Amino acid sequence: MIVSAKKRRLTWRRALDNGLTYLALTLVSLVFLFPCLWLILASLSRSGSLYDIRGFFPSAYSLQTFVDLFTNDVNGLYPYGRWFLNTLYVSGMSCVLGTVLVILTAYVMSRFRFRGRDGVKRLTLVLGMFPGFMGMTAIYIIMAQFNLLNRLEALIFLYAGTAPMGYLVQKGYFDTIPFTIHEAARIDGATHLQIFTRITLPLSRPMLVYTALTQFAWPWSDCLLPKLLLKNRDQWTVAVGLFSMPETHFSRFAAGSVFIAVPIVILYFCLVKHIVNGLTAGAVKG
Amino acid sequence: MSIHASARPAGLRALPGRLRRSARSLCAFMRWAPVRVWLSVAVMGLGQLCYGQVLKGLVFLGLEALGLWYFLTRGLSDAAGFFTLGVQQEDLWLGIPGDNSMTMLILGIFALVLLGLMGTLWVCNIRDAAFTAREVEKGRRPRNFLQTLHCLADEKFHVTALTLPLVTVTIFSLLPIAFMILIAFTNLGGDIVYPRLADWSFSAWEKLFGVGQLGGTFGKILSWNVLWAVLATAINFLGGLALALLFNKRNVRCSRFWRAFPILAYAIPGFISMLGFKFMFSQSGPINSMLVDAGRDSIFFLTNDESAKWWARGIGLFVNAWISMPSIMLMATGILTNINPDLYEASALDGATPFKQFRSITLPFVLFSTTPVLIGQFVGNFNNFGIFFFMRSGVISNYGDYFLASDTDLLINWLYNLSVDNNYYSVGAAISLVIFVITSTLSLMVYVRSAAYKQEDTYQ
Repeated sequence: MIVSAKKRRLTWRRALDNGLTYLALTLVSLVFLFPCLWLILASLSRSGSLYDIRGFFPSAYSLQTFVDLFTNDVNGLYPYGRWFLNTLYVSGMSCVLGTVLVILTAYVMSRFRFRGRDGVKRLTLVLGMFPGFMGMTAIYIIMAQFNLLNRLEALIFLYAGTAPMGYLVQKGYFDTIPFTIHEAARIDGATHLQIFTRITLPLSRPMLVYTALTQFAWPWSDCLLPKLLLKNRDQWTVAVGLFSMPETHFSRFAAGSVFIAVPIVILYFCLVKHIVNGLTAGAVKG
Repeated sequence: MSIHASARPAGLRALPGRLRRSARSLCAFMRWAPVRVWLSVAVMGLGQLCYGQVLKGLVFLGLEALGLWYFLTRGLSDAAGFFTLGVQQEDLWLGIPGDNSMTMLILGIFALVLLGLMGTLWVCNIRDAAFTAREVEKGRRPRNFLQTLHCLADEKFHVTALTLPLVTVTIFSLLPIAFMILIAFTNLGGDIVYPRLADWSFSAWEKLFGVGQLGGTFGKILSWNVLWAVLATAINFLGGLALALLFNKRNVRCSRFWRAFPILAYAIPGFISMLGFKFMFSQSGPINSMLVDAGRDSIFFLTNDESAKWWARGIGLFVNAWISMPSIMLMATGILTNINPDLYEASALDGATPFKQFRSITLPFVLFSTTPVLIGQFVGNFNNFGIFFFMRSGVISNYGDYFLASDTDLLINWLYNLSVDNNYYSVGAAISLVIFVITSTLSLMVYVRSAAYKQEDTYQ
């Protein structure tokens, strides 16, 4: 009797626990899903302005906004296709250059002991503590001196050139590759360059993917530097362009956002494992 | 123990000794150095040329020519401009173009950096010549160019690999920051911009810590900034941990499916989320239109009205949590798998409730292993520029004496308003130094803590 009562109480408690758990799960999922859903539906709305949409969801749907996004730039105000290509160019180039620079820096800092190593370490640490865009005024003047204002290359140099500052995560990864492999190759007569290209790089593919992804994503979503350095509308990147869109062009904004967010989201879901590894590696190293 | 004792005071006590030693080795070098090394001292690359290392010598020679050309044509006057910050004011009547103090400051720093670089190159060139001279003394042949290249790819790989990153970081990161630090000690900005000449002064600091409008705004923004950082970090961290625990519960089926929703939020570029939320809470956005349809007044969520103050702040916290909680969740999930499950079983046998288990096992463990991240998050939130830039850009509070700032602005937003949008350069630079002092103190704490963490093996 007593046992079964206890059991029944237990099953009751379990049912309650299950119910609450799934209620919480549903709520959490809604909170995270709803804004995304709202944007996607808004991008499909027939009317373009925020004022025409009463409540959360549009009353009539069409794909016209997506067509307009690329074909109708409202007298050169919103040349989205151009912005997209610009962003792709900047992100792609700074991804390649930035990844090379970061990986080189991290590898050297992880594997070599040389004079000035501590100095470099301390320097990057201190520089990293200054607020990110503190030097923006200076960057503007420097770029003006190099005649790089209003050129996309200025952004590429900036993103790729400052990328080595964040080498710590990659260094943490290289630290975990056993030193013995390195020494064995050394005994076999490999030069340091060969060890780097033939042994270390193939071994660190997950880290390469993570680095490339972060290097690609940063220019993709940065709004400040392009806003500072690019004055002509048709040279902007997508982030600046979307930032400039007012409420009257809300569905255009939504469509533009969806168009660039979807590939990135898919990429993240494919690579979520690498990203988590990168995150936790960063966590341990600080 | 002995390592500790010798390592700490080495910096101070050894300095005179080290100086003496280097002076002695310099004397020895001067007595030993053969003529061809002296040639390299005089003209970069000349010694190498005499040793038959033609290509290398030409490279050095070319670099010296380039450097000399730069310094003679403009470098020297640029470097002088660093100290004077301009002497010639623009004269429209006589048509004399004036000096631009700001450009002169940065070009001056640039010239000084290049001077340092040339010096380093010169020392390298002497060292290289000395190395070759020693090899020759030992009866070996000087290295040919291929061997030099091979050496650069092997023994000197670290130098080769680090050169380019160092140069780019110097130009795009070090130089701008040095510029801003120096600008904080000039009177540039406000009325004193081109064509007026600037000078070295402490006026920015006097304004910032004075009692005027600037000082008052600074106090208000600083206190809100600290409050924001504490709240945002606590909400993100506890929320992310709660999500991780929720998805980790034993009775949750298909946790991968549920986890996909926060990851979705994580994957969307942050600026899109922030701009989206701006539209959602805007004056004619869906929430307000629903309020109006329900017969209520619309709420000034993000406007510059005083009633919007706490609404906007709360919405900022919410959006920030929406964006950053998922990454904390992903990290916490990884950390939770490291907790030994025996701990839970044993404590359950001893009669611990789930809450007690959370308080005494999960929370300490997670806090302990993520202290660096936690402080990193705090610093990140302290400098969280994006949220209020995207959601309330252009909003300047029209009450309470805010100087070119809104009531939600953090120091970093104010810094942006002042120095990028409104040309208050020196005050902006002084603010960034304040931010630097705060964040570096915190980061130093991380360092101390993580050093303690390394020695602490008891928890694993």
